[in-house]
Amino acid sequence: MRVLDGKVALITGAASGQGRAAAVLFARHGARIAVADLNEEGARETVQLVEAAGGAALAVRADVSQRADNDRMVAAAVDAFGRLDVLYNNAAVQMSGRLVDCTEDEWDRTIATNLSAIFWACRAAVPHMLARDGGSIINTASVLGLIGSEGYAAYGAAKAGLVALTRQLATELAPRIRANVIAPGAIDTPRFRKVADAMPDTAGFLRGLLENVPLRRLGTADDIAQAALFLASDASAYTSGAVIPCDGGLAALR
Amino acid sequence: MSRARFGGRVAVVTGGASGLGEAVAGRLAAEGARVVVADVDGGGAERVAAAVVAGGGTARPVAADVTRRADVARMVQAAQELGGLHVLVLSAAVEVQARLGDTTDDDWQRVLDVNLKGPFVCLQQAIPVMVRGGGGAVVALGSTLGLIGQPRFAAYCASKGALVNLCKQVAIEHAADGVRVNVVAPSACETGLFARTAEQSGDAAGMKRLVASRIPMGRLGTADDVCDTILFLASDESSYLSGAVLPLDGGLAARRQ
Repeated sequence: MRVLDGKVALITGAASGQGRAAAVLFARHGARIAVADLNEEGARETVQLVEAAGGAALAVRADVSQRADNDRMVAAAVDAFGRLDVLYNNAAVQMSGRLVDCTEDEWDRTIATNLSAIFWACRAAVPHMLARDGGSIINTASVLGLIGSEGYAAYGAAKAGLVALTRQLATELAPRIRANVIAPGAIDTPRFRKVADAMPDTAGFLRGLLENVPLRRLGTADDIAQAALFLASDASAYTSGAVIPCDGGLAALR
Repeated sequence: MSRARFGGRVAVVTGGASGLGEAVAGRLAAEGARVVVADVDGGGAERVAAAVVAGGGTARPVAADVTRRADVARMVQAAQELGGLHVLVLSAAVEVQARLGDTTDDDWQRVLDVNLKGPFVCLQQAIPVMVRGGGGAVVALGSTLGLIGQPRFAAYCASKGALVNLCKQVAIEHAADGVRVNVVAPSACETGLFARTAEQSGDAAGMKRLVASRIPMGRLGTADDVCDTILFLASDESSYLSGAVLPLDGGLAARRQ
């Protein structure tokens, strides 16, 4: 069953990883997709994958840390497809660093990309959702937005702020717009591989990580995309303000 | 004996010139702390510090915008001149009431700057001094609105929610250094930002009654409630507590997840 027939979804950070997987999955379920990313070439590749799956998509270059780009990407989606039903804020930067080592620039870029960007995108998208049939906002936080962990001062703060912002939006935008959070744990994406490969002992790092994951495996981009599909579709019509950990049980240990 | 609870210690209170910060500065001084009263309102900081001195305590005012590194450095320097930095109370905050669609870029940025970046800058500069002195306690003013959603508080909710997790991260990072970091999350109080908003609404009594009616205890929090909790978290009585969020809300949190 196609659960997003006739819908239009804007997905940020969709040039790779979780965003790309969601773009293809949403398209298989009938949605037309605006593929937003800083990486324009990757965005175009995602468009090709969507088209190969029989869907329609548009690549939009957007640096979500800039307010004007958020306005532009929303306008581009609406111009191309005539409406906007789903906003999936998936783009993020992840810079690790302890409090005392976190530079001003790292702090500002993390807060702008992972928190302010979502404020800007939602503010731009909401009037378009309200103009038609309402909508669904999906925000990618992180297990690090739910628990504390050394080495993620800016990232953890931004993601927790995003959880709080989403809860607030859920109360404010009801009943016609729902807003929910996906909180991924360790997901096997190109970005994750880059981090893991940079570790002095990659195998040991992965082993240690999996010891804290009850399901004993890394997540996949498709795991997250399936959760996003649920939140995008009417299957979750009574779910708003929820935080869904997609982390193999990691947060449940805390 | 309670007078000696903070004897020999130096406390810094941001946002100390008014509201809950003012109340906390006074209480810390009354219990023996030497207090740096920091506030963007320099005149207000001087007034509060003078009141502490008039009461027989030691206090120093610092005009400081917590979002400015140079100001925060002067604040930390003032503490060191008083003998170190043992307690940091992060009370400076601003509140903007606006729905998502009505929240301007300037509002958003100002709320995030004061309520989130301010604590980040203060923690970054204060903690190394605490560590050199053998440890310390940080207490951040969160809010019920950092834990739950509420219409018309887009920026404020986001800033306070982020602050909670920033404090958790830092609590873990500096646990081994003897620095504890905790958050008190009050609901609406008779003193502070809510009270100011209520006064501006034109029907302060009605607004307070309405909010109180939603609280299991049927009343608003008081400055004393908040001070008691902050002093507990700042003192050795809570020496095994770190990374915690204490709801101070007359039982409101019990209704929630």
